[in-house]
Amino acid sequence: MNRRTAWFLVAAMVLGALLVAETAERPALTNADRVHDLAGDFACPVCQGQSVAESDAPVARTIRATIRSMVDEGATDGEVRELLVSSFGEDIDYAPRGDGLTSLVWILPVLVLAMAGSGLAMAVRRWQGGAGKGRSAVGRPVVLTGVALVAVLAGLLMARSVGDRGRGDTLSGEIRLSTRTLLIEAGVAGPDEAIDLYGQVLEIQPSNVEALAYRGWALWRSGAAEWARADMADAVDLDPTYPDVRVFRASQRLADGDPVGAASDLVVLDGLDAPPIVGDLVAAAHLRERVAGELARGGGLLAALELLDSGLERDPGAASLLAERGWLLAGTGDPDLVALSLVSLDAAVLAGPDNPYALAYRALVNGVLLGRPEAAWEDSEAFFGLRDRPTGLADLLADQGLGPER
Amino acid sequence: MSPLRATTLVAGLLVAVLIGVLATRQSGPDQMRAHLVGQVAPPVVGTTIDAEVWDLDGQRGRWVVVNFFSTTCVPCIREHPELVAFAEDHVAADDVRVVSVAFDDSASAVEAFFRRNGGTWPVLAVDTGRIAVDWGVVAVPESYLVTPSGHVAAKVIGGVEQDDLEDLLDRARTSVG
Repeated sequence: MNRRTAWFLVAAMVLGALLVAETAERPALTNADRVHDLAGDFACPVCQGQSVAESDAPVARTIRATIRSMVDEGATDGEVRELLVSSFGEDIDYAPRGDGLTSLVWILPVLVLAMAGSGLAMAVRRWQGGAGKGRSAVGRPVVLTGVALVAVLAGLLMARSVGDRGRGDTLSGEIRLSTRTLLIEAGVAGPDEAIDLYGQVLEIQPSNVEALAYRGWALWRSGAAEWARADMADAVDLDPTYPDVRVFRASQRLADGDPVGAASDLVVLDGLDAPPIVGDLVAAAHLRERVAGELARGGGLLAALELLDSGLERDPGAASLLAERGWLLAGTGDPDLVALSLVSLDAAVLAGPDNPYALAYRALVNGVLLGRPEAAWEDSEAFFGLRDRPTGLADLLADQGLGPER
Repeated sequence: MSPLRATTLVAGLLVAVLIGVLATRQSGPDQMRAHLVGQVAPPVVGTTIDAEVWDLDGQRGRWVVVNFFSTTCVPCIREHPELVAFAEDHVAADDVRVVSVAFDDSASAVEAFFRRNGGTWPVLAVDTGRIAVDWGVVAVPESYLVTPSGHVAAKVIGGVEQDDLEDLLDRARTSVG
């Protein structure tokens, strides 16, 4: 057996094995398997690079449900394919049929590859034959570069044609983005990029409340107040139980001079099963205390106390809330309420011996309103011994003669 | 002509055809959006949230606005008052009917949505996935104007406004004659 025959036999065996593997009868699939396989054969019409099986977009869910019901009713794969292609167009089909114009997708690349291969083989042979005769040494790289460029161009066009069917129409269809990926990216992006990424999520899923809420917050922080308000309002309309947007909108409403609206968002938040990080966010920003303070200043002491009590119901040991409660009661000047304020302030200092608000407010009530300077000095000293103390509170104590240099 | 030149020429021609076809073919979303206008409207049959059977074929002789929506979609929430105003303006003449088809939504949410926001037209909320697929709905809101003969006259992607719907209706009436 000569060398050429051996190569021919090897090639024939490989080809035969491939043909057998491709045409061998597969085991019968369950309906669920068929639905999954079929869903994987179609592109999600509004996603980038995701199949109907992979996507969580509403249209993908709807198409999956339709495939499931058709399969359960005994429809063939061809009937499912026919319906989806007639409704959403040929581009939804990851494996278009080899008839009509789409047959070019199958035929032309094979022909081009065969022709290009044989052309290159002939060219190489000719160049080898012509070597030493000094023929066209400069032209060879040019021809090869041209062939490579055409191949790349054809490949990219092919990729665009069969791969990407999203609204963005990128050149290659390789991108496999999901709304979850976009949201994660937006979470670590700068404000402008985040706004753009949340916008992309909303293009795919207009009802994605997380994207709406966080885009609203990003817009708010970037100064686009009008759009921010609209996004946050839409997010609340969409899902009144989404806790994050309640915090964002409470903050926005407080800044807009609407403490009543802000308080209503915080009270709703208290009734939700919010993750601890949301509560931490509210506490870190002293949002509830600031809203309560604004309410009391506007004459709504009762509403302010209700707001603080609502927070204390969830966290009875919140020293800042207890301190604010005591301070608002003391601020009335009513002897009974001032006495009552000490109950809250004592509880605040007990719950948070290092809480600057609890210490400062109790010092002020004792020292200024109740005439108990000794008790006031103790709290004042403890306050000025803290490493982190709000400047405003320190100034207030100093103004009342309760500063460190008494 | 040498074999090499002939091969190169044929290959070049084929590549040119391939590039031409791929570069000039219409992209997917555009194809999808235009595909129903002028054609016979796909079926819309089902049970409404008021437990009545509703069939688009039974509306022949009247214009029909087929509105696909979801209670969790912001543009759908925004367009609803416009649809209510449009429907109310045509109650007396009874020349246009509106039907809403819920898209990927629950019947209870749809019922609550209509109770809260008004709208007395038929609403299909159960097993509507096949209807949406038949109409090629990819994202809501989408609305279609169906002629009295049962053909799709126009498609609106996004929220509708009452004035725009009236304009659309006037133009469609003129073109249908």
